[in-house]
Amino acid sequence: MTQVASETSFQMDDLIVRIAETQDQQAFSELVELAAPRMKAYAIRCGAGVDDAEELVQECLLTVWRKAHQFNPKAARSTTWLYTIIRNRRIDMGRKNKLDIVQSDDLWPEGETDLLEDDVERDLTGKLVRTLLHSLPDEQRQIVFKVYFEGKSHSEIAGELDLPLGTIKSRLRLAMKKLDTLAKEQVSWLTIILIMNF
Amino acid sequence: MANYHPNHELLMQFAAGQLSNALGIMVACHIENCEECRAVTQNYEHLGGDILESLETIELSPDFISRTLSKLAEDAKSPEPASAAPPVVDARLPKPLQRFLPNTLESLPWSGISSSIQQFDLTISDRQYTARFYKIKAGKELPQHTHKGNEYTMVMDGAFSDESGSYHKGDFILADTSTHHQPKAHADCDCICFAVMDAPLKFTGFWGRMLNPFMR
Repeated sequence: MTQVASETSFQMDDLIVRIAETQDQQAFSELVELAAPRMKAYAIRCGAGVDDAEELVQECLLTVWRKAHQFNPKAARSTTWLYTIIRNRRIDMGRKNKLDIVQSDDLWPEGETDLLEDDVERDLTGKLVRTLLHSLPDEQRQIVFKVYFEGKSHSEIAGELDLPLGTIKSRLRLAMKKLDTLAKEQVSWLTIILIMNF
Repeated sequence: MANYHPNHELLMQFAAGQLSNALGIMVACHIENCEECRAVTQNYEHLGGDILESLETIELSPDFISRTLSKLAEDAKSPEPASAAPPVVDARLPKPLQRFLPNTLESLPWSGISSSIQQFDLTISDRQYTARFYKIKAGKELPQHTHKGNEYTMVMDGAFSDESGSYHKGDFILADTSTHHQPKAHADCDCICFAVMDAPLKFTGFWGRMLNPFMR
């Protein structure tokens, strides 16, 4: 399962590069088929209705087409890039008809990726093969999902799961600690591999 | 380099795109000049990518691809007009805030609270958060006070100290109901802080008075 998902990520890297280099509509259609159904799931989990979800996914895909040249497969994984695009468009779509004036461009002024090619550590982090998420126990993953999709505060999550606030906080803290440690470990591990290869 | 940072929970919420108002702007300001927190945030963006990849697939409407392709053709015919960049009034400010200040830091229309402290309300306040700039005169000390809710503060210029530490440009500080402190601006220059406060709905209309953290 994990392996398949990871292959998808590399496949998408290539498709985005093809879109950037030759405005290849065939590559675009393939990318839509691979990415759009999961992007729709993201939108719906974030609370969008079916129509809004498809509109959001469509806007993101048009952004991918326009910004494909900004994607650098050496510096970032396509899934991370797509994630930042859909996150940003979700924020902007959510504000269209409100007095809210903060836009994703204010929050991330450098755009969807601000990875510097000469920054070795970031370069490696961007290439982390697999996978922080799957290493988390279910109970921690459930809380992380609530943060990402529902923007729930700790006390709201505690109420929903009928658990003490302290439990939520310590689970999330454990999850984050584990993710940070893993990220660091994978970076050093990748450094060793790279040193041996060169 | 900042010595005080947003906690990881905030950074995760930021990367999740769930801090999209005043508090988001403040985290973005800190991250602009803090490599450490930027790297942490990027890890959480990778996690976001992993989450996206791990999701179930939901089938799209049968005509989704054809609709998207024709939209693509439409877009190609009428390229988006380049949006005019808003005028930058103070390039020394962090980018995330530049759009929201009408003047340079020095010439903001400050309003007085007392002889030692002035404030300027930002337009990014919303129902959840009140966003405000404070200016504490050089060398001045505020009365001992505590906070009704959470108050996030980022030092924009100058420095101040309280019982627990000394805070400089870029530092990100969280004060809550358990914080009792008496901030004092350093003697060499005025201290300007960007503050974001929880603004519970019940206080709507009374923000200025009720949530002024320094006057209680």
